[in-house]
Amino acid sequence: MATKTVHVDYLARVEGEGALDLQIADGRVASAQLRIFEPPRFFEAFLRGRGYAETPDIVARICGICPIAYQMSAVHAIEHAFGVQVGGQLRALRRLIYCGEWIESHALHVVMLHAPDFLGFPDGIQMAREHGDMVRDGLALKKAGNELMALLGGREIHPVNVRPGGFYRVPSRAELAPVGESLKRARDRAVGLLRWVATFTFPEFERDYEFVALRHPGEYPFNEGRIVSSRDIDIAIADYETEFEERHVAHSTALHSLLKRRGAYLVGPLARYALNFDRLPASVQQLAREAGLGPVCRNPFRSIVVRALEIVYACEEALRLIADYEPPALAAVPLEPRAGNGFGCTEAPRGICWHRYDFEADGSIRAARIVPPTAQNQPSIEADLAAVAESVLDQSDEVIRDRCEQSIRNYDPCISCSAHFLKLAVQRT
Amino acid sequence: MNALDLDGTAVRKVLVVGIGNPDRCDDGIGAAVLERLAGRLPADVRTLARRGDMLALLDDCAGADALVCVDATAPMGMPGQIRRIDAIAETVPRDASFASSHALGLGEAIELARTLGTAPPAMVVYAVEGACFDDGMGLSPLVARAIEEVADRVVADVARLRRGPASPAPEA
Repeated sequence: MATKTVHVDYLARVEGEGALDLQIADGRVASAQLRIFEPPRFFEAFLRGRGYAETPDIVARICGICPIAYQMSAVHAIEHAFGVQVGGQLRALRRLIYCGEWIESHALHVVMLHAPDFLGFPDGIQMAREHGDMVRDGLALKKAGNELMALLGGREIHPVNVRPGGFYRVPSRAELAPVGESLKRARDRAVGLLRWVATFTFPEFERDYEFVALRHPGEYPFNEGRIVSSRDIDIAIADYETEFEERHVAHSTALHSLLKRRGAYLVGPLARYALNFDRLPASVQQLAREAGLGPVCRNPFRSIVVRALEIVYACEEALRLIADYEPPALAAVPLEPRAGNGFGCTEAPRGICWHRYDFEADGSIRAARIVPPTAQNQPSIEADLAAVAESVLDQSDEVIRDRCEQSIRNYDPCISCSAHFLKLAVQRT
Repeated sequence: MNALDLDGTAVRKVLVVGIGNPDRCDDGIGAAVLERLAGRLPADVRTLARRGDMLALLDDCAGADALVCVDATAPMGMPGQIRRIDAIAETVPRDASFASSHALGLGEAIELARTLGTAPPAMVVYAVEGACFDDGMGLSPLVARAIEEVADRVVADVARLRRGPASPAPEA
């Protein structure tokens, strides 16, 4: 029996700490395990006994890249539990701050972390020597997203201005105007970025994913909608636990999320796009076609194109929201706590981020459950790795290692969020 | 337009950046040196405190002729040791965290600025070896002892950088 072991001690350019173990026996991939060893962070336990109003500031600390996702899912769950719905301009401002997060998160991943894979550079800094203009544009996009986050959130990392019911302070039209100007330039840069990444060479690789995303009657989803899949799931956010479950696996400090009936599923840009293509404005749909995308994309390596398209969308949506903005009379809707459960689910840059809170009558948290997107994608990442490695088994360990790392970066995984970076061990027997 | 010195000669724009989180013990050396520099630098010299992602440094140093940074380094057994790096002549060690993070360290930010052609023509980094990076305020004794010397050397560097075209390492 031929045995082989390939080690990648640390996966580069993903957020968090993990490793990959690839077992190859008799010329076939026997197993592929994304081993997450980042220590557990116990946020759900920290939340027990804390007041509902503290929740957005605590959960924002789960992630420095996508704090808005955690804040938004939390405030929606709180409002759901207390029987309040936030609409009008406060709702619009929530979409607007989410646009900021998508722009900054996607731009950095596309340019500095993922594009080097397709162009043969070890990192974004080396790539900048030959593609300086695109790196400058990517960084300018990130800055535009950060500006939006800072204006609406008080600061771009771990924002402090989000509260259940709305915001502590809302901006004036005059404050939004310069951000609008910056977003117009950002939109043009995003289109340039999309056209650039569309020229990359992508491995011929597709998988029959079950896509899972939010779907809203009239919008490309950020904060609201039903949880739907490319097969038969169409459920309210509150019913998530009827279809999905989390399992502990020995090789990961992050729980694995699975469909109870079918196992692995995919969340994130590819899923959102496939399930909501018809919700994109015609201008963005046209750009997608020009970039070589059909209404569904099953090639995970092309996720970089979908991410770039979502940057364009987020810029356009932000510009629309700013143009229509009128400051609301109240910065937040008043809330009256009550005992009960609340559920929230919003579209983080990496996919749906689902929260459940059980509250005491005084609004303190009895129990919390937070399901981040990367935890949901782990089984899919492992299935991708097995399939990708299988397709290059006849090549050198270096090629296997590179392709596997690239496959993981297709997901822009946030391991810190899910637990919770990458060591690759390939064993051939 | 560049500022004029007391003798009427144009001076170069110098930016001094103190890097680190004062709530992480010795990581606060950058902020502590900035505090000690208060009132000791010419009015045309900009000072900035930065923490976290150093990507913002690319914008910070736009238009500057010279950059001086003060940052803490990981414990290597000689807490408080001061290392002066001429970041034009030498490479600033890159932060291992770049391999796993969406945030740039000082070394990556300087290298990226250099690659993109936006780095100031003179750059000096003072790296002070830390002993403790736990939660909490206050520097450990050996690191605190370095504040005065680093501040004095930054004042001397700034005086030279405001006038001169290059950033050779002075005699320590």
